[in-house]
Amino acid sequence: MEKRFKKSLDSLNSIFQFTDEFATKHNLDPGALFSLNLVVEELFTNIVKYNPENKNDVLIELDKKSHDLIIALTDFDARPFDITQRPTLNLSQYLEERRVGGLGIHLVKQMMDKIEHEYKDRCSKIILTKHLEN
Amino acid sequence: MFDAKMSDAGEVLLSGRFDASQVDTAKPVFDKLKKSCVVNFKDLDYISSAGLSVLLATQKRLNESGEKLKLRNLNKYIRDVFRYAGFDTVFEIE
Repeated sequence: MEKRFKKSLDSLNSIFQFTDEFATKHNLDPGALFSLNLVVEELFTNIVKYNPENKNDVLIELDKKSHDLIIALTDFDARPFDITQRPTLNLSQYLEERRVGGLGIHLVKQMMDKIEHEYKDRCSKIILTKHLEN
Repeated sequence: MFDAKMSDAGEVLLSGRFDASQVDTAKPVFDKLKKSCVVNFKDLDYISSAGLSVLLATQKRLNESGEKLKLRNLNKYIRDVFRYAGFDTVFEIE
């Protein structure tokens, strides 16, 4: 399934409707849906906050292949947004200093099994894979 | 649908989905807290880093005056998020 969403926090409700539809179609358990919602929200809100130069829609693609849940977000005509290159969050420092930012990406890294980034023709695409138990 | 409100018993009641678009709804409720307080997650289905940040900011502010938030009735998925974020070391979770 794929759908484009306006680059705005106001899109979150329709994004969650989209992930709900996907979860129903593929019979995802509540834990898998929770993880799906969380990583999609964290990446989408990062794109909204840190790549606001253009107002292009963000493409969200969801797929399930065998026991793998595959999630991809593409930001068009954008600078590279490669979370695999982000330094690992120093959690104790974050909690101590309440430094702004970084926690969402930390959660994505904790919850996903594989994270890839592609950058081609000014399209920045993040691809996440989670191995499901069923 | 998200909501954050004070109960008659003086607890903060969270319900629905606490995502990045709900920070402006939740923040005024937490900003008013001056003393230690229970936050009841009984009806909360979901929280992301945006919601966690509101809780952490409140905890830090209250800690400065020796007060704290105590969290109650987290569902197992939210409990996992707290653990991934290291928040289980910052909050008393019942």
